[in-house]
Amino acid sequence: MTSAIGTKAASATGTDAIETLAIGKRFGPVVALDGVDLTVPRGTVLCLLGHNGAGKSTLVDVLTTLARPTSGTARVAGFDVLAEPHKVRRRIGVTGQFAALDDRMTPRATLVLLARLHGLGRRAAHARADELLERFGLAEVAARALRACSGGTRRRLDLAAGLTGRPEVVVLDEPTAGLDPVSRLALWDVVRGLARDGAAVLLTTQDLAEADRLADTIAVLRRGRVVASGTPGELKARVGSRSVTVRPADPAAAEQALRAGGITPALDPARGTLTVPAASSRQVSDVLRALDAAGIDPGDLTLSEPGLDEVYLALATPDSAGSARDDSVRGAA
Amino acid sequence: MTAVVGRGGGRAGRSRGGGASVATQMSVLTVHTVRTLLADRRLLLITLLEPLPMLLVFGQALSGLARVPGFPRGVAYIDYLVPALMVTTALQSGLQSATRLTDDLRGGLVSRFRAMPLWLGSVLVAQSATGLVRGVLRLATLVGLAWAVFGYRCRGGPLALLLAVTVALAVAWALGWAFMALACWFRRAETLQAAAGLAMFPLMFASNAFLPVAALPPWLRVVAQVNPLTHGVAAVRALTLGRPALPAVAATFALALLVTAVAAPIAIRGVRRTA
Repeated sequence: MTSAIGTKAASATGTDAIETLAIGKRFGPVVALDGVDLTVPRGTVLCLLGHNGAGKSTLVDVLTTLARPTSGTARVAGFDVLAEPHKVRRRIGVTGQFAALDDRMTPRATLVLLARLHGLGRRAAHARADELLERFGLAEVAARALRACSGGTRRRLDLAAGLTGRPEVVVLDEPTAGLDPVSRLALWDVVRGLARDGAAVLLTTQDLAEADRLADTIAVLRRGRVVASGTPGELKARVGSRSVTVRPADPAAAEQALRAGGITPALDPARGTLTVPAASSRQVSDVLRALDAAGIDPGDLTLSEPGLDEVYLALATPDSAGSARDDSVRGAA
Repeated sequence: MTAVVGRGGGRAGRSRGGGASVATQMSVLTVHTVRTLLADRRLLLITLLEPLPMLLVFGQALSGLARVPGFPRGVAYIDYLVPALMVTTALQSGLQSATRLTDDLRGGLVSRFRAMPLWLGSVLVAQSATGLVRGVLRLATLVGLAWAVFGYRCRGGPLALLLAVTVALAVAWALGWAFMALACWFRRAETLQAAAGLAMFPLMFASNAFLPVAALPPWLRVVAQVNPLTHGVAAVRALTLGRPALPAVAATFALALLVTAVAAPIAIRGVRRTA
């Protein structure tokens, strides 16, 4: 699309917009972040992938100066989050997991207020609001009280609100959770546009497809640690690009048959399914042949793209190819 | 009103782009908060009529209180009562500011402000200033109703009435900060209301608001004499009854200043704290 969203262009090249070094955060005995190292260069998107409770939101809070890390350092837009939080706040835009908006206000009033607080004069604030309303397809509902607006509208306004100050660094905490597919595509477009305009974007998600689509770098967070990071291509190469799942009448017998054929399936006893990584169609036929040799009907057969579970399975378990510790290195620099 | 103060007046190190000066933040947020107050017509109406039941209960049902020993001679009970209600109305106005603040703190825009280049104290100043607007509207309604319906007259004249309203507003302002300090630490409207209720009844009734202090039991007399509300009521009452009021007025302003000086820093520290 266009570059109309307008982020401050990267002035100092070469410096990373987000840089964390061994960030740790404890809540009493609970370790929420356990030595996280990340870098996000300007003009790139880093997707932070992880389940609920992996530490994504805590990391977002640390980077947006809402929470103080208990150890390590983090620099955002060139400033230390602990030493100079005010300078950090001036350069970031945040969209939270739960829309931080006032239900009684209209989208236009919300954006004008925020623009005014970012230091724009009355006229400039209105112009900025109109620009954002237009860009995010909110013009039609601009004068409607937010409580009468749909969830998708709220989400888009939340994102627009985070951009009123033309941030250099944009932090989006699960921005597409609960969005319909069309709004989701539109939002992906916006995120890519932000990076193209020179902003550094950190986006958290539980959705591997989303990370695959958006990210220059993916970091997988698990129990407060980065267990793997790399480009989507690198990670997919290690996860296996897809998997085949069968649901035979007797999963245990099928498992034995597959192992006999040199294939190691993951058994889901609850659903009675067996899943095998299958990067190529040959591997799919290997599975079918092994079952056929034992006279087992595969039952339902599905091919699926890897999800977060597969990533965890392949990258996060200690006995998998790359051990977690070796991979907790920086993202692509 | 705001733009001129705005740009240049930033604190050292804040004048660079991205982020309004503190003065601008305060005025922008005050305008916003006042607008929010005026936009909710239903709530505003209830807020304005809140003093009415007290006026009815004391002005009519309990007007016999004028016959207790120690009651000033020749003063109608309504003329004695209205100044007290002005101060209790101010007290409740302060609580309303704080209740609105807990609403705002629980989510909404304030959570966004935390990650913005703002001084969060601006939110409190805006709420406090809006409290004054609310206070003026409520006091005007109270005095207007008392005048039109219950035959209240201010013997001190219009100037004294204006000064009396100012004194009541000072009380509302100070207690607004005290209740906002509580709000910032409790964070929940229910807890705040309970705590305020606990404080409010002794403040209102262990005082000279509805009865002369001389008519109270001896132990309560002691409480009433140290109760800051007693000073506020004494000041407003003396003014509106056209009696010498300077010492009581001075004492009330001094007390209001003291309460604000203690409560405001606590409130500002509290609002910064993340939930």
